[in-house]
Amino acid sequence: MSSSQQVPQSLLSKVIQDLIGKFKVTGKAESDTRGYVEVDKSKIIQVASYLKEIGFDHVKSVTGIDYPEQNQFEVVYHVSSYSVPELTKVILAVKSKTSYKDPKFPSLYSIWESVWTGERETYEMLGIIFEGHPELKRLFLDEDFEGVYPLRKSFKLKQEGLFIDKSA
Amino acid sequence: MLSLSHIISLIKFYLFYPSFFAVIIFPGLIFTTVILLVTIWFERKAAARVQMRIGPLYVSKRTGGLLQLVADAIRIVFSEIIIPNGVNPTLYVLAPVLPLAFSFIPMVLIPFSSIPQSGSVLSPYYYDFYDPEIGQGVLVGYFVEYNMVLVLGILAIIPIFILLQAWATNNRFAILGAVRESLLSVSYDVLILMAVVAIALEYHTLDIARVVATGIPGIIANPLAALVFFVGMIMGTGRFPFDIVEADTELVLGPATEYSGFLFVLAMGGGYIATFAYSFIFADLFLSGWAPLSGLPGALITSIKAILVLWFSVFLRSVYGRYRLDQALRGSWKYLLPVAFASIILGLVVGWIWIR
Amino acid sequence: MTSQPEPSGLQVDIIPVQGELNVGPQHPGSGHMRIYVKLSGDIIEDIDLDVGYVHRAVEKLSEIRNYMHLIPLVERPAILDAIHMNLGYILALEKILGVDVPERAQYLRSLAAEINRIASHLYGTGILGIFLGHSTAFMWGFGDREVWVEILQALTGARVTNSYVIPGGVRRDLTPAIKEMIEKALAYQRRKVKDWYKIFVNNPNIRSRLENVGVMTNENAIKWGAVGPNLRASGVYYDVRKIEPYAAYSKLDFEIPVYKEGDAYARLLVRFEEVEQSMRMIEQIIKEIPEGNILSDRFFKQIPPTRLKKWWEGQKKIVFPGYYASFRPPKGEAVSRVEAARGELLYYIVSDGSPKPYRLRIITPSYRMIYVFKQLAKGARYADLVAIYGSLDYFPPEADR
Repeated sequence: MSSSQQVPQSLLSKVIQDLIGKFKVTGKAESDTRGYVEVDKSKIIQVASYLKEIGFDHVKSVTGIDYPEQNQFEVVYHVSSYSVPELTKVILAVKSKTSYKDPKFPSLYSIWESVWTGERETYEMLGIIFEGHPELKRLFLDEDFEGVYPLRKSFKLKQEGLFIDKSA
Repeated sequence: MLSLSHIISLIKFYLFYPSFFAVIIFPGLIFTTVILLVTIWFERKAAARVQMRIGPLYVSKRTGGLLQLVADAIRIVFSEIIIPNGVNPTLYVLAPVLPLAFSFIPMVLIPFSSIPQSGSVLSPYYYDFYDPEIGQGVLVGYFVEYNMVLVLGILAIIPIFILLQAWATNNRFAILGAVRESLLSVSYDVLILMAVVAIALEYHTLDIARVVATGIPGIIANPLAALVFFVGMIMGTGRFPFDIVEADTELVLGPATEYSGFLFVLAMGGGYIATFAYSFIFADLFLSGWAPLSGLPGALITSIKAILVLWFSVFLRSVYGRYRLDQALRGSWKYLLPVAFASIILGLVVGWIWIR
Repeated sequence: MTSQPEPSGLQVDIIPVQGELNVGPQHPGSGHMRIYVKLSGDIIEDIDLDVGYVHRAVEKLSEIRNYMHLIPLVERPAILDAIHMNLGYILALEKILGVDVPERAQYLRSLAAEINRIASHLYGTGILGIFLGHSTAFMWGFGDREVWVEILQALTGARVTNSYVIPGGVRRDLTPAIKEMIEKALAYQRRKVKDWYKIFVNNPNIRSRLENVGVMTNENAIKWGAVGPNLRASGVYYDVRKIEPYAAYSKLDFEIPVYKEGDAYARLLVRFEEVEQSMRMIEQIIKEIPEGNILSDRFFKQIPPTRLKKWWEGQKKIVFPGYYASFRPPKGEAVSRVEAARGELLYYIVSDGSPKPYRLRIITPSYRMIYVFKQLAKGARYADLVAIYGSLDYFPPEADR
């Protein structure tokens, strides 16, 4: 937990409470250095610009998680800071959900350029279309995977069994 | 009928005839091929010693792997020659042969030693190969009095054949290598010619044999010209740090990208033979070729000096990386060209004062 | 392909070649990927990095394997840097499990990590050398690396892909013979680094090839998200070992080299100085390592006594208890990061209470350098492409995972 009775509130929990106040998002600071906010798809650009102003200047990773039972994807951006010394140890997870029927998502490339590779990979692995990304096409997979999105839970990997030759 | 001694003396006459001997046997085709193999062995062994490893060893353990290159040559020569689809086959096969041939022709014209009037096995040919400038015979394939200029003229045509090689290959990387070669060839040719002009002005002659016969090595009389010639030589034949044309990791072997088998040996060997030809010129002009001796031992001394120069320029592989094209060009035009001008002036001054 | 006539003048920087060049996988200077270069003359207009040649789908495979079975899989993307890939994964897993690690194991983790960092930097410098045509740097890099890899073999049992770090501690202990090996290796490497400076780092040829090549300014480094020595060579003071210390780094005394210029030469210098700092840290670890157990008590108690007698008391090696076969961590998620040799390595594990992870996300340093490489190559000369590639220490299998 972030704040106890005597210890002053950490910077991360201040930032999260700021966000909750300004943009009506939900969130929690799990420790001094890790926390998350859950943002709706429509507000994510505003939240991202606000975070950039405070000092979070790069995105470490873009993760797409598939929840087939709830028919939705979740996109998690882990942001942190290089230039503001108090925020360098903080990794804030910005989570947002988008449904199966409408897998479109606003791209954060215009705010943080470091999402370029992550958004491209999430597009090709999960099929989430990031609107506004300058070059959204396949990155790691080859041509047979056009239209097939491997990281979805519906894509089953074929596994071979173990063959033990007892006679040898 | 001809008796045995008559036959033997006939064979001896034709064997030691300089046009045959100097061109085919001693510093000639056979000797050059052997030295080529030994030089590549030396390159690999010296680089290996610097790089904390052993180098060629197992092919002939007792001589330290000396026959490794023979094994390599046999293997590559018997590899398949692949001719790509979209090329002109005649030009494709002809292109690697021409630089090699033209690198070898200067060996016919460079004097290797002087022939005294008596006392040497070559003396019977004194009058056939008489050089009026030094008053003795010279051991050379074909004697001309202006051999300095002729040799350099022939060596200057070689870049055109490298362009032909790349053009015949029809490959983008080869064209990039050819463009680099064409830009470089202008700069290094100018440097070499200016250094040689400086020497010619200094010694008041266009004959290499005369330069040696004065007994003053060019490296003492005009060290600037020696420096410019040496750097130009390394630039021209693609030794490190000027390995720009066949930059391994940027253009896959440059103009020789698509060659395999015997053509590959020819394409690669041409560079070494050109270096050898240049190092003979260097040994004659600057290190005073065959100076104390004459006749066959003189040719041996010239060859040893040329081999030393060749081995030094080949050793640079273990020390230097590779320059970029514009850095090499800038270096040669901005820094070496003024030195070349200075060497000409130095040659004029020294030639006036000292060498008559 | 077309070749245009040359515009007049003595311009030495335009060569009449225009078109695309496929510096593909079968090229001595490309590594395991294709670089699709759009050339105009000698200047690169744009490159398209066609990565994915060695994509092995580690993230998808991690959804069908148990947590312990994932340890060898997760190390494979960057086999030379395997301790760090292993360590990052285990740190995230330990956060979910809530295990604490004994002191001696922390020191051993740092020791193995620093040895691996030295080996990886020597490899990277060797590759940079061969890309520039300097074969001596290449051979020396691999020859010196051999010394450190032998130490890792004595310590962990394997030269690369060691699988040394397990949840709760490490697998094997340090013996006096290994300490002696390390001291000899330190003396050898210090001697050799002086030779390195003479023949490679201060070589005027190499300096002119690397200075002012691929300059990345401070703002660009932050904007593009660079990591590791590349970031520190652009003036950003950022190292995970100082910011969020893991293993034993909070107790060790070391500095971080930072240069302002941001060109390829600065990146090379940063790597060499990091090697020196790593050697300093290894000396301190060997002197100060505390006694104790190398595996946390929670797991150590579960090793059956027969195995304990045979392996632990005989040879001081940990053999896994039965619990490890398929443990179920509690539901939750964790983010952990370590400073691998090439930069910052991030792991994000989402666990839903089953023995297999729900989602494992690995962000390797080379993955984050894909965008930086693309941006830096714009406007450079063609011969600088390999210089930039080598100086960024971009490792394609690590980026592709």
